[in-house]
Amino acid sequence: MIALRHINLRLVAAALFLSLLGVMLIYSARYDAISGTSSTHFARQFLWLLMALGLFYAFINTPLRLIDFSAYPLLGFSIILLIVVLFFGYSKTGAARALALGPLNLTPSDVGKIAVLIALSRFLAYTKRPPESIWRLAISGLLVGIPAIFVMRQPDLGSSLVFVALLFSMWYWSGLNPLYLILIISPLVSLLAAFHWVTWVIYLTLLVLFLLFLRPGLLFGIVTVVANLAFGIITPFFWNSLAEYQKLRILIFLDPGRDPNKAGYQIIQSKIAVGSGGIIGKGYLGGSQSQLEFLPERHTDFIFSVLAEEFGFIGAMVVVGVFAYIVYKGINIALRCRSKFTSNLAWGATTIIFFQFFINIGMTFGLTPVTGVPLPFLSYGGTSLIFFWSLIGLLVLADYYWTEY
Amino acid sequence: MQTHRVDRDLRAKIGMGLLGLAVVALLIGLFYHQIILHNDYEVQSESNRIRVQPIIPKRGVIYDRHYNIIADNMLSFTVSVVPFEVKKDITYKKLGELLGMDPAAVQKKAKANFASEFIPSPIKRGLGIEEVSLLEEQGDAYPGITYSVESVRRYPVDASVESFIGYIGEVSPEEIAADPDKGYRPGMLVGKKGIEKAYDQLLRGIEGTNYIEVSARGKIIGPYRGKDRVAPVPGADLNLAIDLDLQRFIVENFDTNRCCGAVVAMDPRNGEILALVSFPGMDPNIFSRPIPTELWQGIIGDSLHPLMNRPIAALYTPGSTAKLLTAGAALEAGKITENTYLRPCYGGMQFGNRFFRCWEERGHGRLNMLHAIEHSCNVYFYQVGQMLGVDTWHDYATKCGFGRKTGLEIVGEFDGIAPSSAYLDRLYGKKRWSPLLAINIAIGQGEFSVTPLQLTQFYCGLANNGLVYKPHLLREIRHPDGSVVRVAPQLSFKLPFSQPTLAKLNEALKLVVQGEGGTARGRRQKEYDISGKTGTAQNPHGNDHAWFVAFAPSEDPRICVTAIVENGGHGSEAAAPIVGKIIHHFLINNVPQFAHLKKEVASTRP
Repeated sequence: MIALRHINLRLVAAALFLSLLGVMLIYSARYDAISGTSSTHFARQFLWLLMALGLFYAFINTPLRLIDFSAYPLLGFSIILLIVVLFFGYSKTGAARALALGPLNLTPSDVGKIAVLIALSRFLAYTKRPPESIWRLAISGLLVGIPAIFVMRQPDLGSSLVFVALLFSMWYWSGLNPLYLILIISPLVSLLAAFHWVTWVIYLTLLVLFLLFLRPGLLFGIVTVVANLAFGIITPFFWNSLAEYQKLRILIFLDPGRDPNKAGYQIIQSKIAVGSGGIIGKGYLGGSQSQLEFLPERHTDFIFSVLAEEFGFIGAMVVVGVFAYIVYKGINIALRCRSKFTSNLAWGATTIIFFQFFINIGMTFGLTPVTGVPLPFLSYGGTSLIFFWSLIGLLVLADYYWTEY
Repeated sequence: MQTHRVDRDLRAKIGMGLLGLAVVALLIGLFYHQIILHNDYEVQSESNRIRVQPIIPKRGVIYDRHYNIIADNMLSFTVSVVPFEVKKDITYKKLGELLGMDPAAVQKKAKANFASEFIPSPIKRGLGIEEVSLLEEQGDAYPGITYSVESVRRYPVDASVESFIGYIGEVSPEEIAADPDKGYRPGMLVGKKGIEKAYDQLLRGIEGTNYIEVSARGKIIGPYRGKDRVAPVPGADLNLAIDLDLQRFIVENFDTNRCCGAVVAMDPRNGEILALVSFPGMDPNIFSRPIPTELWQGIIGDSLHPLMNRPIAALYTPGSTAKLLTAGAALEAGKITENTYLRPCYGGMQFGNRFFRCWEERGHGRLNMLHAIEHSCNVYFYQVGQMLGVDTWHDYATKCGFGRKTGLEIVGEFDGIAPSSAYLDRLYGKKRWSPLLAINIAIGQGEFSVTPLQLTQFYCGLANNGLVYKPHLLREIRHPDGSVVRVAPQLSFKLPFSQPTLAKLNEALKLVVQGEGGTARGRRQKEYDISGKTGTAQNPHGNDHAWFVAFAPSEDPRICVTAIVENGGHGSEAAAPIVGKIIHHFLINNVPQFAHLKKEVASTRP
């Protein structure tokens, strides 16, 4: 039981600030200028926030040991949910990502993220194998990979990327030589290099030189080379296996103007919203891009565009600052924790918040691809809100129990 | 454990570094878009949400000289459905009942014209006020149905006005490309022919602009507050020289058994066109709405060419009406005098190896110039033509306005042909034509071709002391600000004839009607003298075309009328009677001196 005075109140205040701002922006995003009213989304989000705060309070009163022990059962449960959503998923846009449970549209990928975070923290904390051990990498890879593949099948590219980012970040935090990360990513580079055989040959030569310099274990070296060859050879197959909209998203990320009326429309309208906001913005409820429905997904993935349009550069800067503060706090908590498990939890939670906030905000003006990653605390969505408050809960727990466990 | 701590410190620092980089990247990006590119995005954001709606001004009304309406505007209603508000079962059924359409057809139409959930999808255009008032009264019974008002051009008088008034239609991409400065907008209605085209910019006015704020789905939010509405400037009203009553009289009296022809009536004192009739005529109202393809094909394929504006765009040989030109030229060139007797007419004359016929097979005998015109003797003028030669003749013909446009405001006028030796060289090859062609040309046959308007212009010159005023249709421009601009008569040219020559020609023209042997003596009137000339244009494709051109009163001409009746035969039979009627009708209605004749005519009618 944590007394209120022991809770990291600044962290909670930052998250609460963002959550309330989110409710406010959702009101604006769904505001109808003619009738002068908004849809019920903002009210629902507010109820979700109350629920998230309740769950948050329950969460920070959960013994860390219980969280530790329930890691694998929770992972198993989340995988089952992910399989169920593939069959019974509720779909609005062609991708079945949510399960309708009464009023709640449960998104299992959020449950999966927290389950994977805990399981990964546990595994990487207790395994005796050295960080560069291929088995350690392989098993942790499986812990993330299995749920990630189901998420990918939904298809939800954005959430899959969160899983991959989490895995890499956790490997890094638990001591993996960053150069090995390069080797691990190398097959993906091979994939890109193999679009032309000359670049591929040059790339493979560089890779072999790099291996000779780094001298990882024999097994690691062989796996790396084989993976590189395999990925290079399957490049064309990989490209063809992507769904049309995934290909489009990649192409549009590279060139947003190529399809202004369809997929690129989102980016262009979002850029107009962000850019037309200027320094101080058009004022609350005054964003024409948002109010007049030019901006798609404006209460979910593009909520930041609404903010940037209505509150301008100053408002955007404040939100980026608050996120940076949360991440900064999270890194410090992870650094201070004495137990590896707790530290891993804090680092992983911080990673997810960091990754999602960066990708989401960057997406609104074309810095990062449109991957369907919601903005933590601000985007509309009950499960998402509860999930991020759980991460704050983990950070608060880790902050409080930094000496223990 | 110690090394572990140090390692973590470093890793955390790298993490912090990454965070810093990410924040800097985001802030630079936001700065770039929100501050540096702000203006560009501002513009895009504005254009995104503001729909510019043209406010179409009232098109100017066209009146005749007595303020009778020739062209005005009428309200027409278009019934549409708003897809967003449609109640599937009720809307289409009720609308089908109202419009007498199959509900399925209504639904199909709504789907075909779908633009957005909130933009009305037109179902039927051109509805009357009755159907719309029903909608108005029982609005609730017709969910999702709306109507809009449009202005449709209307030509209320059926008097073959299409020949000069033309019609309006949607501006074509070619027209927009050809005249970028005229303020054309795709979909705009502009004059396509006739007066509507010639004075389009005056009639059209200047479009206004409404700025409307819309949502991404086309829902209208309301007027945009950032920009003021620009009011339209209505078009100017035009007052034409046309006498609609005379125009209608001509249409009613043209022998409908004769399919085709043209009538031009002009005031010789100033060049005002009093009537311009083309047979068969067109109803310009059919162009005010989209034309069904079958109807259009029917018009295009009609062998009578109803779209041809015969008074200005049909070429005929002038026949004997050209004899005045030949006579004038010969008098002026000193080849003959009015008393010159040439070789007598025995029904024809041998020139070289060819025998040239006179229309009078029995022959006219010995004639001087005056009587040669009175009797319209070909043999006399064959000889005059031979004396003149084609180039001297051509010189006079050109100076009399033949072979070139008169300069009437409306487009489509033809030049006609006043042949010269150079022209004949081009046509037949150098020196490959007989000089005898000049003989034929001198009596208004062969290669000589004119438009009815050119001929009218020439006779107006004869009537008006040799002064030819430019034919024109417009009399007054009445600007929307109340100012009125009167179109001043414009002297076009002078006939190349001296006063004595003109006097002799006029004497001859008078003889045609007043003389004992005049070809148009049937047109003689007690109260006033008529001067005129009959003509018969040889037609290689069928019966000859009949001409009559006349002006009256001879001493103080107020009107000059030309009529051509295609395939009518002799001018004296087919064309002269109607011209006589036209002149009489005009004089009794417009010249106070003859107003008393009106009653007599009325009383003699059964």
